[in-house]
Amino acid sequence: MTETSNEKVIEKELSFGPVHPALIEPYRIRLFVNDEIVEDCEININMAYRGIEKLLDGIPVEKALIITERICGICSHVHAWNSVRVIEGGLGIEVPERANYIRVLTQEFQRITSHLIFFGHAFEVIGHETLSMRAFLLREQFMDLLQYLGGNRVMPSVPIIGGIRPRADLTESLKKTILDRCDAFEDKYANYVQRVLDDPLVISRINGIGLLTKEDAIKYHATGPTGRASGWRYDLRADMNEYKPFDFNIIVLDGCDTKDRVVDRALEVVESLKIIRQIVKNIPEGPVVNRNWVAKEMPFTTAYSESYRGELMHTYGLDHQGLVRNYQVRTPTITNLAAMEHACIGDHVTEAILTIASCDPCLTCCTRAEVVESGKSRTMTDYEIVRKYGWRR
Amino acid sequence: MTLKSTSRKKAIHVMLCYTGGCNGCDIEVVNALLSPRYDLEQYGVMLTWNPREADVLIVSGVVTWQMLEPLKKIYSLIPEPKAVVAVGACACNGNVYKNLVGDIKVNEDVWAPVENIIPVDVKVPGCAPRPEEIIQGAVKGLPKLMGAP
Amino acid sequence: MTVDASVFFIARLVVSSVIALVIATLYSLVLPGIERKIQARIQQRVGPPILMPGFWSVIKFTYKSKTEPIAQMPRLYKFLIGFGIGVVSLLLLFNTPYWWFVLGWGSILGIAGMLKLEEVLYVFMGSQSQSVLSTSMPVPDTVKGSKWPDIRREFNEQHSAERALKMMLIGSLPLYLALIVPFLVARSVNISAVVFAQNPAYYPFTSWLSFSLPTNPVLFTVPGFIAAIVYFLGFVIILNEKPFSILKAKVDLIEGGVLEYAANLRAGYYVMRNLLMFALSSMFVTLFLGIPFDPFMPAMLLLNMVLSLILPIALSVLVAFSPIFTFRQIYPTAIGLSALGVLAMILAVSI
Repeated sequence: MTETSNEKVIEKELSFGPVHPALIEPYRIRLFVNDEIVEDCEININMAYRGIEKLLDGIPVEKALIITERICGICSHVHAWNSVRVIEGGLGIEVPERANYIRVLTQEFQRITSHLIFFGHAFEVIGHETLSMRAFLLREQFMDLLQYLGGNRVMPSVPIIGGIRPRADLTESLKKTILDRCDAFEDKYANYVQRVLDDPLVISRINGIGLLTKEDAIKYHATGPTGRASGWRYDLRADMNEYKPFDFNIIVLDGCDTKDRVVDRALEVVESLKIIRQIVKNIPEGPVVNRNWVAKEMPFTTAYSESYRGELMHTYGLDHQGLVRNYQVRTPTITNLAAMEHACIGDHVTEAILTIASCDPCLTCCTRAEVVESGKSRTMTDYEIVRKYGWRR
Repeated sequence: MTLKSTSRKKAIHVMLCYTGGCNGCDIEVVNALLSPRYDLEQYGVMLTWNPREADVLIVSGVVTWQMLEPLKKIYSLIPEPKAVVAVGACACNGNVYKNLVGDIKVNEDVWAPVENIIPVDVKVPGCAPRPEEIIQGAVKGLPKLMGAP
Repeated sequence: MTVDASVFFIARLVVSSVIALVIATLYSLVLPGIERKIQARIQQRVGPPILMPGFWSVIKFTYKSKTEPIAQMPRLYKFLIGFGIGVVSLLLLFNTPYWWFVLGWGSILGIAGMLKLEEVLYVFMGSQSQSVLSTSMPVPDTVKGSKWPDIRREFNEQHSAERALKMMLIGSLPLYLALIVPFLVARSVNISAVVFAQNPAYYPFTSWLSFSLPTNPVLFTVPGFIAAIVYFLGFVIILNEKPFSILKAKVDLIEGGVLEYAANLRAGYYVMRNLLMFALSSMFVTLFLGIPFDPFMPAMLLLNMVLSLILPIALSVLVAFSPIFTFRQIYPTAIGLSALGVLAMILAVSI
């Protein structure tokens, strides 16, 4: 196992997590450091494995929506939406135009809250508590809007198969509230971002670290803002039919460092506000749900969507009774992980954790099935490994 | 009111142990504790990340088997007296992941009610509970702390 | 000095030390509350009650059940807290006039020695503590295999000890340089000479109600002002507060070496840290303004305590507006501050 062809000298190993202030989610970072410099990084995930694929197997497709929404608590809407897009694509269910608008609206609300969580978390990792608090304060306005729209701050449960829940319909008073909040938010947000970019101490911390070149981003398939900050123009929203009526820009920066990953998300929030304003202005009248569908046998269908952290894939088939079979989810973080591990090499220990945070990991989303079958060799699950070898090596 | 119980009422250190779930409660807890809107520090509650400093352990999330040992360990490290608050439906009964009303059987990957692992004093149900409820739950552990010898 | 006079002197020394320590400890426990409150107001929230982070927390921790820390040598680890409190108390007592005449301790050598001991403490703490939060967490990580299988695994606290060594090497230099400046202005190594030069009307053995304001404080001269700025940043460095808190950075090392102190030991740690903060800010008032912490002169004592709030308040504003520096930023900052300190010294000599 001594493949020291790259001639790295590694002095020691530092490990953080799973209960740790910088990584609130349960995962473990193992940094192989030489003095202060990170020479290699390994991220151990799987601490949030709940067996979602197994749970989803063989349940009615309407029921599956409840579980898919709870794959992740930050991007709950996009999971629910993408799982209904699978069956809508596979069985050709017509979705009313108004329902699509409201789905996109919820999506952009959650994109803003997710990006503001990112700011809050990233600035806490930088150590700047004030900016982190301001981000959380700004986020509360959109949490309120989500609550008005869906009824819950975290799980708005807006989409159902064939449309949206009728209670999540957009009323005239809500439209006015949304526009007011957006205006109030935009001013404060612009000040906030300006404040961040003008702060020499913060910029000295985030500028020029965590380099991820465009080639590496494509090689590791770093999706979402992480890839776009490396100059890779890849945003599924440009191709999605749901986003056709709206006019927005795809933010691509080519700084390839942590600063650009922060700035990229900061600019995306502004684009989301643009989309929200267009939705509220142009939303067509009409029904919000199409109930004329029956669950019948469906071949495996895949739906791709641009979630807040990158490309999200859901795929499943329905058997002859209309039950879900072989549900698979691929979340953006699973591909971003390799990019994170690569990007933090060569920086200081404190900056490595910042680099990992700047790729916005969401480990609870990305913890997926454990058994990997490749030809004849079968990878053991973690459980089997521990049963066999005990907790410590 | 002795000096002991007064001091325990006036200064509470809270630790969050997130044991796998959907991230929703976890963000809400950190949000409730940190954000200026639901500022928990004004009630004399501080967030800490060190079990040696903590009085109240907030557990959120279904307990996955990898987080089972860390949870027990962290609970054992908190010096007496201590209280445990289970936040969210996942920590209270397992929520959808436990497959409680499922057709097949209970999900084995989830050790769900935290009660089964460590003694729980306060439960805050909801998916996800509102920040106000979490604040209420964190403060409800007080009588136990104050009454302890 | 006759026998009677020396007995009288020792009695006054002991009584003044006890009074000074009690007042300073109680007062220092209010400081973290003020600090926290100012930060909270900057962050647009209400913030904790003033007494909570210091006073009530310390009392609460003393009432918690005693637990054995996980350390390589638990008794040494526990002893370090008592040792630290002793060191910091001595540092504080150098502000009281009776200690200036004990064995030549009341000079810059005493102050520098105590500060250095205080810094070394973190190296010892870091190398002792073995918290469960890092390497020894019972999760299956090594069993999954690794690209680098046989690497020495280090606890976070041990890494913190290495950072503490680096901070000792370069980070604490500005504070010592700034400390020298008032002594250079007074052309003496004794604290008494520094105070008397700034406050000629002050004499420690006069009546209780006497009171004298300094006539020519060092702070309002050019070298003194530069030195005060350097002193402030050195104060932040030696307290390991936000911009220079690399050795207990929350994002990777959580709390550094003090991670394993529980119950009464943690109360001791809180007292030690807050007393150090008060001792250093009181020393600033003593050396740069010429107002000593004299327990037998209530007016001087109160003035010293009020003026001692300057540094903690400035610190809390700095903490609220700054990120954690890594060594990439700390080395240039410390070198620049040292250069400023040397400049102040040269100016002080040439005046």
